[in-house]
This record gives sequence, C-alpha cells and structure tokens, in this order.
Amino acid sequence: MYLTDKEKKMLNGDFGEIVQKNMKVLVALGEIYGAEKMIEIKNVHSPGVSYRVTGDAGLNYVKEASINGYFITPVTLNTIGIDVEDWEKIGFPADFSQKQVELVDAYKKMGAFCTNTCTPYLVGNLPRFGEHIAWGESSAIVFANSVIGARTNREGGPSALAAAITGRVPAYGYHLDENRKGTHLVEVEIALESDCDYAALGYYIGQKVGKRVPVFRGIKNPTIDNLKALGAALASSGAVALYHIENVTPEALKENVLEDNYEILVFAQEEFNQVSEKFSIKGKVDIVVVGCPHCSIEEMKKISELLSGKKLKSDMWVCTSRQIKVLSDTMGYTEIIEKSGAEIICDTCPVLSPTLDRGYKQVVTNSGKLAHYMPGLWDVKTALIQLEDCIQAGIDGE
Amino acid sequence: MDTMILKGRKIVEGKVEGEALVSKEPLSFMGSMNPKTGYIIERGHELEGECMQGKILVFPQSKGSTGGSYMLFDVVKNGVGPLGIVNIEAESIVVIGAIVSDLPMVDEIDISLINTGDYLIINADEGTVEVHKKEL
Repeated sequence: MYLTDKEKKMLNGDFGEIVQKNMKVLVALGEIYGAEKMIEIKNVHSPGVSYRVTGDAGLNYVKEASINGYFITPVTLNTIGIDVEDWEKIGFPADFSQKQVELVDAYKKMGAFCTNTCTPYLVGNLPRFGEHIAWGESSAIVFANSVIGARTNREGGPSALAAAITGRVPAYGYHLDENRKGTHLVEVEIALESDCDYAALGYYIGQKVGKRVPVFRGIKNPTIDNLKALGAALASSGAVALYHIENVTPEALKENVLEDNYEILVFAQEEFNQVSEKFSIKGKVDIVVVGCPHCSIEEMKKISELLSGKKLKSDMWVCTSRQIKVLSDTMGYTEIIEKSGAEIICDTCPVLSPTLDRGYKQVVTNSGKLAHYMPGLWDVKTALIQLEDCIQAGIDGE
Repeated sequence: MDTMILKGRKIVEGKVEGEALVSKEPLSFMGSMNPKTGYIIERGHELEGECMQGKILVFPQSKGSTGGSYMLFDVVKNGVGPLGIVNIEAESIVVIGAIVSDLPMVDEIDISLINTGDYLIINADEGTVEVHKKEL
C-alpha cells in the first residue's frame, strides 16, 4: 500500500516504538483488505475499555502503550465494566474494579475523554456527514455510519488504539463509496412503534445479512432512540456496520442506494413473531434491564413517568451515561426512578460488567442486544418486550 | 485416509496444525465464549458447550461486539484459545484480534469441506489448509 513519507517514518520507528508497533497493526490490516493508502482521521471512539473484555492480556497491552504513547486525535471511551461512583454499592468485586480503574487511567493518560458510554453521539462526540472516523462499539459504529453518514469500519480495541496513536486508518471497507451500497432490500410490512419493535427487526435482519448492508423500505419517521435500538440489534445477531432507510437516513434520501444485484427480504408479522417467541419467558421476573444502548434523556423521562408513584417487586437496572444521569438529576427523573426501587447504573451495563451473583434467572428488557447477550453472559433467560410492558412486569414481579 | 489441500488467503502468518472445531454459524469472541475457559457459552449456538482450547477454529466469519478483538487476545494469552482460525470471509474484529495475538489465520476457504475432528495443517504464509479427513 502507498504510504506518505510521514507514514513511512512512523512505520520505520522514527516516532518511537509505540507509534511503530501501532502503525504495523494498521498496515497489516490495510494489506489484508487491499487498502491503497491510509486516511487521516480526527475522531476515535474506543472500545476495549471494559476489563471484562480486555482481561489481563488487553489491560497489559493498553498499559504498555500508555508508558510512552499518546493520542493525537480526540478519543471518547466506550462503556466500561463498573459504575465508577457506585461500584461497591452495586456489588462489583473490588479486584475487578481495581483493574478496571487501571485500564481507564491508562487511556486517560494517553488523552482519552472518560465518557464511558456506548452512545458517544449523545454526549458530544458527533462526527460530520462524510467524515472518516475510527469507532468501536458495534452499536455506535452502525449509528455513526447509518444515521449520521460518517465513515468507519468495525474497529476493535487494538485498531482503535492504533488509529488514535497514529491519526490514521487504512482506506478500505466502509471508508470507500463502493462498499456503502445496499446489498439487501428489506420490505418492512408492519408498522413499527416501540424501540422494541425496531430491535426485533434488527435482530431478525442481522441474522440474515451478516456483515452486509440492508436497506429498509417502509419505515416512517423513526426517532433517534428507535434507530439506536435498531442498530444495536443488527450488530448483535449479525456484524452489520451500515444500514440505510429509504427517505430517512442521509445516504438514502435522494438517490437509490441499492447495488444492482440485491436480495429481497421481508419483515412482516410472522418474522416479528419468530423473534418474540425466541425471547419470551413465563412466570417470575427477577430483573428488568433497560438502557442498552445507554438511555437518552428522553428515555429517562419516559421511564420516570412510568415509574412515578410505583413500587417495583423485581429489581430494575436503568443503564445510562454519567452525563445523562447528571441531566436526569437536574430534571428530577433520578429521584422518581430511584424511589420506585430501580437502580440507575452509569458507565457500565450487564454486557460489559462482571456477572453478579444475585440469583437472577429471568430477565425482561426492551433491548435486542441485551436479549441476545445476557443468556450466555449471565446464565439467564430473557424476554424482549416494550418499555411499558417491561416496567409493568417489574411492578407485578411477573 | 483422505487428504486434500484447500487454497485460501493469508490473514495472519504462521504454521500450525491440530484438530478442527467447525461451526457453520458465525461466532463472536465477545459474548459467545468464556475467555478464562475457552468454552462456547452462546445459548443455542451449534458449538455451545464445546471448548476451543488447542483446536483450529473453523467458522464462516465473526459477528457481534467489537470487544471481540481483545477477548480473542485474552483467550489466547490465557492458554485456552484456538491454535489457528479458518474463515470463509475474515471480518475485521477477529482479524484485529488475530494480528495482536500472532494467531495463524486463513480465509477464503470452503469450510463445508471441513468437519469437526478432521486434522488440519495450516500454512498461513501460503494461505493453505491441508485437511486430513477423520476416519469414520
């Protein structure tokens, strides 16, 4: 691949060992995918910041980089493995929390903003349309590519780190026009209303298209929260990094975004029911979990309205970013939510935190991503139902 | 014993041999497996309950969370990871994990020709997978 003089110097070690090592990772990636050159970037969202994900191997990798390495681009951090303020009260183990703090400190030393959220686009990391970025966190990647129209591949922890240290990514995949065309047309034949409906659509289609690019037809006026739920599910059951919605998302507003030879898929009542049946439970509800991806302020408002004056029989986690929590405090939502018995969990989520020994067997959620990951990670059964029903189940305890 | 040589593409260099553990379904290293034990934990996955330790892991492509890169690195460093990876189409999350783990990896292989229990000799430098079919 073509490298500029500066990039060659990075690769040859003129900028030190850490830059060289990270440039090597990017060149190796570029060569695998046939990249012709590097692209300069000024925006990174780093995954691989939960100690549950990195283990000691990744922790040491990042700590080693932080001895002499520093970020030359702005970097926001993804969801971590603990609530930084309330980890002890929630019951996260002290040794895990200690390692988690070491990991975040290493990123912070290199210059990262400790946003600790999977929704960087809700807390100030907002790329431009068409901007080349290096993002991790599967749900954020798909949001940035699809809803904003920025351009990123699915970066893992090590490649996001390399991008932040070198300010570059190899030019392949979703950075190039030719890979942003739709491969599947999805005819959505039922009206989607709740975030949970969008999650069911995402879960079904993610399984069908893998890493390809679905184009949805028949979706009208979705909210940002709807699209957040759709993308997270698409990237859980599949490896979707980009979707389009005709007449909604920026690259599908005017011209046709489908490739010449596209496949057609249908999402109607039968397909919806398949997902609902896969994620359904009967009987006692041990915990309700919402906020995957992290709740927006509008979701916090809605949750507080549904919980106002109520008492929960089940446990409930409302996961959000610290920044949204501060606004919820100001608005009085926090007080209402906590009075019902629910816990507001910041910085983390059940996918990235340690599994707690609380005897949970049955979980209800409105998130396709959580419904998918929690059974394996927490040894539980999950039901995917809309927010209002989640909260009612928590109040009834079943 | 039946033997064949499949030609694919080098992803990460290296030579390694061992028994194949084959999945027809995509796999995520985040959420589908336990990095401390190497066991597959995704509910309903065709490899649920299997252990990847010491095996050549054969699957179509990776899926899911971007945490998968470090989790592959971690499972390998913990000594309970796969010896090598064979994919139909290498997806970036597993590629990034394999690069930092120095894990030999090949893609563009017709994995329908490989079954769990076959003995594989991977020469990733040449992009080849030599398949010694398990005797039935």
